[in-house]
Amino acid sequence: MISQNTFLKRSWPMLIQCAEAHRKPRWLPVAKSKLYRIPKRPEVSEEERLELLRVNNNYKTQMRAIRRFYHEEMIKEKSTRDSASSEMSLRLEADEWERCVIINDKWNAQVATEREERRKIQLAEMEELALAKMEAKDKELKERLEKAAEEVRRQKALCETFITPDKLEEAIDYALANPIDYNYAIDLHGKTYLGTTTPTNVHKDEKTSTAV
Amino acid sequence: MTTKVIKYVGRTTHFKGKTLWEIVGSLKNLGIGRLIVRSVFERYPEPSFMKIVKVETCPDEERRRVRVWVEKTFRGKKLPNVTEIYRTSYKPDYRLIPKNEESKLLASVTEEHSFSEVVLPRTIEMPPLMKKFIVKDHEKKGLEVMKELVMPISYNQSPNRVNRVAQPGEQPTVEFTMGLGKPASPSLYEGVPLK
Repeated sequence: MISQNTFLKRSWPMLIQCAEAHRKPRWLPVAKSKLYRIPKRPEVSEEERLELLRVNNNYKTQMRAIRRFYHEEMIKEKSTRDSASSEMSLRLEADEWERCVIINDKWNAQVATEREERRKIQLAEMEELALAKMEAKDKELKERLEKAAEEVRRQKALCETFITPDKLEEAIDYALANPIDYNYAIDLHGKTYLGTTTPTNVHKDEKTSTAV
Repeated sequence: MTTKVIKYVGRTTHFKGKTLWEIVGSLKNLGIGRLIVRSVFERYPEPSFMKIVKVETCPDEERRRVRVWVEKTFRGKKLPNVTEIYRTSYKPDYRLIPKNEESKLLASVTEEHSFSEVVLPRTIEMPPLMKKFIVKDHEKKGLEVMKELVMPISYNQSPNRVNRVAQPGEQPTVEFTMGLGKPASPSLYEGVPLK
């Protein structure tokens, strides 16, 4: 039966200790009780020793021969494979290169045609755009000219109503003859409500009186 | 530094003796010119020993090691080159030869070697399953089928090597097979059919 103390004292997981039953782990030193023990040498009779020596030597010779044979065969195979594969690989590489060059040329040609088409389209678009821009500019210029001409025409028409030094007297007379009363109000319907009683000169008098 | 009473702790070893520094450090002139023996090489009937030529001490971190150059005689054969001992100098396996025994040891080296000339084979037969596998595999890969189902043996290269490997076309004196082979001690196989 395992006491609880053994579980508490153990310094390593149980799993590893359980790998081999009744064995001390390799990293622990020799047990105190076994420290000065000298294990007894196995006694082998002379006959047996000689026979074992012979058999073991025989076995080692055989194994050396087999190992050497397979080692040499491996080297031979490897060398043949290497030489064959090097020729093959050179040829394969050249083929691959040619193939790659052909594909590259094809791609280049395709890209060149695509580029030409794209450039044509782009050029056409640019021409169109430029034409449109020019047209727009012309139109704008024309409009501006028209506008200016209209303005000039309007001003010219207005020009006739201007009061020149020749017409000054006449205009003064006219103004005196037709006084306009702006003292009125307008409602939302555009109807005017004239100032009824107050003449303008009354206002003038008041103003002058207040100023005095 | 070294106590007479030795208390062994832990695993036992095959080693027998002292480390090289324990020997060399207590000798006059660091033991240059003296003979040392490694006890693992005493298993062979032929004499194996080393004559110290040069000694270099090591820094304090490597206090068990020492760098020693020796003239090595292995299994009664003197190696042509001076050998450096550094990596194995810490092994407590060296023994100093007393001066009065040196002449005896040196005299025991004879020109002709007592061990018979062994010529190792260059190739070994494949194991049976591998033979079938290789045949099928080569057929599948479209390679030409191997006529001789043998493979070369690799041997460790060491200046201590005693047995030489056969030249191409030479008949080896020993044969390695993939089977069990001839038992060294047949008494262990009593009642067991070997074939």
